[in-house]
Amino acid sequence: MNKTNELALDNCIKCSICVTHCPVAKVTDKFAGPKQNGPDLERFRLEEPLAVHPSIEYCSNCKNCEVACPSGVSISTMNCRAKGEYVAKNGAPLRDRLLANVELMGDFARLMPGLVNWGGKVKLFRELAERIFNISADMTLPQYASKTFYELYRENKPPVSAKKVVYFPGCYVTYNTPEVGLALVKVMAHNGVEVLVEEFNCCGVPLIANGLLADAKNNARNNMRKLEKYIDAGYQIVTSCPSCNLALRREYGELFDMEKAHRLAEQVIDVFEYLQVLAENGELKTDFKHLSLTVGYHQPCHLKAVGCGVPSKGILDLVPGVEVNDLDAGCCGLSGSYGFKKEKYAISQEIGRQLFQAVKKKGLNRVITECGMCQLQIHHGTGAEVYHPIQVLAEAYGLGSDIK
Amino acid sequence: MMNKKADVLVIGAGLSGLMAAAKAVEQGKKVLLVAKGMGALGLSSGCIDLWGYDIDQPDQVCSRPLQEIDKLIQVNPHHPYARVRDVLEESLDFFRKICAENGSPYLENEGGNWLLPTALGTMRPTYLVPASMAVKSLEEADKILVVGFKGLKDFYPDVLVANLQRNAELKPSCKLEPVLVEVGSEELKPAALAHRLERGEIIDKIVQQVKPLLSPGAVVLFPPVLGSSGGAGMAGRLADELGCPVYEVSNIPPALPGDRLQKTLLHHLKTRGVEVIIGSTVTTAHLEGNRCVKVTVRCLSGTMTISARVFVLATGSFLGGGLEADIEGIKESIFNLPVQIGAEEWSVQEFLDLKGQPFNKFGIAVNDHLQPVDESGQVLVKNLMVTGANLAGCNYPIEKCGNGVALATGYKAGKLVEVVHGE
Amino acid sequence: MTDKAQVVIIGGGATGTGILRDLALRGISAVLVEQGDLAHGTSSRFHGLLHSGGRYAVKDKEAARECIEENLILCRIAPSCIEPIGGLFVEMQGDDPEYTEKWVSACAEAGINAEETDVQEVLKSNPALSSNITRAFKVPDCAVDGFRILWGNVNSARKHGAKVITYSKVTKIHQENGSVTGVELLNKLTGEKKTIECEMVVNAAGAWAGEVAAMVGLEVNVIKDKGTLLAFNHRMMNKIVNRLRPPGDGDIFVPHGTITILGTTSQTVDSADANKPERQEVLDLLKIGKEMVPEIENFRLVRAFAGVRPLYQPGSSATGRSVSRGFALLDHQQMDGLNGFVSIVGGKFTTFRLMAERTADLVAEKLAVDAPCRTAQEPLTDPVPEELLKRGKKVFGIPGAKKAAERLGDDFARVIEEAEQNAEKRQVFCECEMVSRAEIDFVARDEDCHTLGDIRRKTRMGMGTCQGTFCGYRTLGALNKYEKFARSHREYLSVFLQKRWKGIRPVLWGQQLREAQLALGIYCSLFGMERMK
Ligand SMILES: Cc1cc2nc3c(=O)[nH]c(=O)nc-3n(C[C@H](O)[C@H](O)[C@H](O)COP(=O)(O)OP(=O)(O)OC[C@H]3O[C@@H](n4cnc5c(N)ncnc54)[C@H](O)[C@@H]3O)c2cc1C
Ligand SMILES: Cc1cc2nc3c(=O)[nH]c(=O)nc-3n(C[C@H](O)[C@H](O)[C@H](O)COP(=O)(O)OP(=O)(O)OC[C@H]3O[C@@H](n4cnc5c(N)ncnc54)[C@H](O)[C@@H]3O)c2cc1C
Ligand code: SF4
Ligand code: SF4
Repeated sequence: MNKTNELALDNCIKCSICVTHCPVAKVTDKFAGPKQNGPDLERFRLEEPLAVHPSIEYCSNCKNCEVACPSGVSISTMNCRAKGEYVAKNGAPLRDRLLANVELMGDFARLMPGLVNWGGKVKLFRELAERIFNISADMTLPQYASKTFYELYRENKPPVSAKKVVYFPGCYVTYNTPEVGLALVKVMAHNGVEVLVEEFNCCGVPLIANGLLADAKNNARNNMRKLEKYIDAGYQIVTSCPSCNLALRREYGELFDMEKAHRLAEQVIDVFEYLQVLAENGELKTDFKHLSLTVGYHQPCHLKAVGCGVPSKGILDLVPGVEVNDLDAGCCGLSGSYGFKKEKYAISQEIGRQLFQAVKKKGLNRVITECGMCQLQIHHGTGAEVYHPIQVLAEAYGLGSDIK
Repeated sequence: MMNKKADVLVIGAGLSGLMAAAKAVEQGKKVLLVAKGMGALGLSSGCIDLWGYDIDQPDQVCSRPLQEIDKLIQVNPHHPYARVRDVLEESLDFFRKICAENGSPYLENEGGNWLLPTALGTMRPTYLVPASMAVKSLEEADKILVVGFKGLKDFYPDVLVANLQRNAELKPSCKLEPVLVEVGSEELKPAALAHRLERGEIIDKIVQQVKPLLSPGAVVLFPPVLGSSGGAGMAGRLADELGCPVYEVSNIPPALPGDRLQKTLLHHLKTRGVEVIIGSTVTTAHLEGNRCVKVTVRCLSGTMTISARVFVLATGSFLGGGLEADIEGIKESIFNLPVQIGAEEWSVQEFLDLKGQPFNKFGIAVNDHLQPVDESGQVLVKNLMVTGANLAGCNYPIEKCGNGVALATGYKAGKLVEVVHGE
Repeated sequence: MTDKAQVVIIGGGATGTGILRDLALRGISAVLVEQGDLAHGTSSRFHGLLHSGGRYAVKDKEAARECIEENLILCRIAPSCIEPIGGLFVEMQGDDPEYTEKWVSACAEAGINAEETDVQEVLKSNPALSSNITRAFKVPDCAVDGFRILWGNVNSARKHGAKVITYSKVTKIHQENGSVTGVELLNKLTGEKKTIECEMVVNAAGAWAGEVAAMVGLEVNVIKDKGTLLAFNHRMMNKIVNRLRPPGDGDIFVPHGTITILGTTSQTVDSADANKPERQEVLDLLKIGKEMVPEIENFRLVRAFAGVRPLYQPGSSATGRSVSRGFALLDHQQMDGLNGFVSIVGGKFTTFRLMAERTADLVAEKLAVDAPCRTAQEPLTDPVPEELLKRGKKVFGIPGAKKAAERLGDDFARVIEEAEQNAEKRQVFCECEMVSRAEIDFVARDEDCHTLGDIRRKTRMGMGTCQGTFCGYRTLGALNKYEKFARSHREYLSVFLQKRWKGIRPVLWGQQLREAQLALGIYCSLFGMERMK
């Protein structure tokens, strides 16, 4: 790799495989697609940084293009940077800033979660939000928990153990599904691992997806500052959200060129990858209950992009009575803030349709998936109960009561 | 660093890797498939070429490909087909079975080649074809209507028509007519068009514009955009509505049929419990003696290792990434296996030379168990099998055997996992 | 068929078209005859460097001064054909520091503004360059688009009544009583013959000038010096980079639009048509280029190409680079007693306007026309109005519009109109170089446009990463409605692909080999084109 070719621009053979695999380009003509916005225009951007196709805002940052590319071209990173250029020049709508600023929304909601959740269900408010902010009135808004994960963690501290990891819960667990974080803490404790937490910032993925690179970098810096001591001390940093995982493992290095990014990448690990290592060393507790549970499994796009396969598969296979059906039906379509935008709601639902159909066709009313946003979208599209796989594992250990 | 374990690690998600995984998982193995990206399969026509032309008369479409392959093995014992002749029929049956089970049946033409029209108006021979492309008896058509879409920049009915007249044997009275239908969009990408068809949104529009142009004995040809999923579904539906046969022709990428086949096979694997990781590149192999114990994999987000008992190297040729050429020479990208370069020159002067470009033939030599061997026939890595386009000795673009070789070699590797592991 | 004109110019390169424009502006009726498409010769097979003169400063002060003067004029009259990106001269470890000193003072004497700049800064903004650079100087080198200059000349000349005949080779020059009276042409596409009566013939046939002179039995000694160039897939640096040492092979990188060109070699050849690049030349260039760009092997080459320099040598036998780059205007009346025949030989692209001016001065004098040269003042191309560019961006996107505007000049407005009215025409046909269907369609309609190659030269379609694999097929489809392109698809497409292949073969490794495998997959596996009828 050389310096002006860091994104493997030269590897592109113009085969268009990325275009065929882009879920957005598949359902709308409004998006010029990953090839044009990525490697095609990148060659022009070396001369004219503003050579960005205006349709770049339609990229949902799902990274399917990059996964499919047979040439190893960093297509979505090119797209992210280009979007950044575009937004830096043309500005981002307030709506995007709001949606991307997940923490701000979360902190606000925290003041009065009941009210916010109620407001999110009242048609009038939603229509107002649609009119004023272009936030779709039809998309189910995430429910805010009455206490954040951090608050709950402090109330339920795990027992001290010599074996420790740091947990990076991410915004969705922090504000919306703290029970997932708690399940993780319990499962780890059950296996003799103490989970430490810190109040991290949003990993930055929503900001990146909206082209707000400077803000995202700020978050990255803050997180890095908080993580530094753990990195230096050799802690593993566990995630449950694939997007956070991808951000810490990859984007911090590739997009922001941060100093310790490389070492960070080596120490970040998905919780199920971690458990798999335990299993491999014979250290995983296998005192599972029989569950008689049939669930559909949806692999989030960002988990595909992380490239560690389906780490939960090997572990859940060990639990008696659990039957996991791989839905293999592509992107859910929500892509974080994307599907909340009024002009993208229909696109988002159209992308997710195949997945919804797969759930319905198989007659499943329970689905598991690692990403909070996918959980929300699948629930929105099918009415099924959707869980994080760690909740199933907690259930199997007799530690949880989330699965309905 | 994370380590994953499997019985069989298949490297590559092209046709040969997918076949190897399908056959291995059928035998109850824990199979992991890792690929850098999607392979040549998605770019191909989705048809399985087996052998296109007579060996003695290279202008003549070969009528009995399987027999011609027997002849081929006599004259060219180094062709990959020579390593898999024993399982050739069986592998084709296996493939057809999987496709049919997954709702995308593939059709055979009574043991002969199909001769199918292309978007350029040429005719190409191929062996197994998806139902939507199985054009029967074009020579009996009284009218051929070629339908394109306004806004689809990769398909031109008038080009097809102009050249089909020269390249196909048609009834002298056969009328050819190009038509461009409008479905209300400025720029159509094949995948988007296919999706809209699948959604049923534009079928009426198409039928309205096409139907008046039909006459008895007409055959309708479309670009390969009739639906995103496999099977004859969309072509069949249009045929019903139009009251005459409807087919897709092969076209340049991005085109759907190859992609459909890849998705069908991947889906098959996933539902059978194969763990699939795409977007991750195997960089190095770790050998102990002449066995591979594990490989290092570079993901989009770091590195991991995968250990397995048997490895299948289905990494394709240069395009797929199995072979890498730099100024100095050519190497196999993971195991550094010796690459057979027969010819002195990598290329010849005429781009479309009838003998083919030599570089397409470069690849790895294997024994009958598909294990890589050196010049003396000594096995280099015992628990490794090499399949598909990175095998030496086949010039698929000219011979018309790309997917055929990939299919048969992949199948055989899957079948032999137990045998090779025991060795 | 017979035509008439005061002057016939043989050769549609920079020099010939420059003369055509100059004469037309003086009101002299002229016809230019070119055997291929415009820029068929060396003017499309060069490095694209509008010299500051720095390269010649030490060795040939005269040439250096001409360069800088012409450089400044062209930047003024033809800004849309030129990227004023500036150049660097870099001294590297091991280079002779004394030469640098000599060079600095030579530049000053020639009037070239060479300003020393901080090496660290240079490396920071051009990370591809070697850290072995010891000193760096900025000079006003520019990248120039040969095609655009040529079309600019021709368009301007046509507006003033001049004519251009392409795909016609001059096969005979008629003379009577010691004066030329006309030329005979052979149309290479139709085989038709034609005569043009004239008072004067200007031989601006570049490397072919000797052959043309031989038609009237005269000897013009042009050394044919082949130079091979490499085109890389992307811009590797943001300035032109010259090695600061006595001029040699492979020591200039010119970033040019989306690509970078490294060159060049130098080898005496027998024929002006000997423009096939060889693999060994490619390897030689890479080896030298590596000194300035250490990771050069990791940059993708899209193709190699070669041109033949016309070096004038009045009767001696010295070969190659040591021959003067200056040009010579040969008045054959004075030299050989043949009235009405003039040859203009040698020179550089950079000095084409000056060469044309001198030639036209002589022609005007002989025709007793008293009109001064205006080419140094009259703008060659009008800048594209901002408003038009804005409209263009809406239909073609930012880079698409900018490039098309530069290429099309006055015609840009019509192309935009077509694209605005017809959505289909907004399609990007050549996705690598962002060329729209509207532009391709517009260019194809031109009566001088006969092959996909002609469209390529006028639009850059097929010049990018995939080298025509995708756009070649598309273009065929869109142009089928024009009879000239509907005749034989097989021939049009295969000639086009074959020409591209000629440049790809010498660089056939790495990604370009993958690209070739894809192209063969498409044209053989998918289309069976090798057996197409
Ligand atoms: C444009 C085109 C059209 C064609 N059309 C037809 C047709 O119509 N009919 C036909 O029969 N044949 C056709 N062929 C030929 C045929 O498709 C191929 O020969 C065949 O599919 C090869 O399959 P494969 O599995 O061996 O390799 P590929 O399909 O190339 O797959 C290689 C796989 O290995 C992966 N890989 C490579 N290196 C690594 C690594 N280091 N780590 C992990 N993964 C790696 C790749 O990402 C890819 O998934 C066509 C070929 C092309 C290029
Ligand atoms: C490798 C290389 C790199 C170069 N780089 C640079 C550079 O960076 N900067 C620079 O300033 N200069 C450069 N030059 C020099 C420059 O390209 C040439 O000096 C210039 O292009 C010559 O233009 P021309 O019009 O005289 O000749 P040409 O462009 O060759 O035009 C002559 C034309 O005459 C036509 N012709 C010949 N015989 C007949 C006939 N019988 N009938 C009809 N037509 C005929 C030919 O087809 C040809 O098109 C380079 C040259 C080479 C070879
Ligand atoms: S980026 Fe990758 S997938 Fe997309 S066209 Fe280029 S090589 Fe193909
Ligand atoms: S990241 Fe997703 S939406 Fe964006 S271009 Fe790639 S595939 Fe398409």
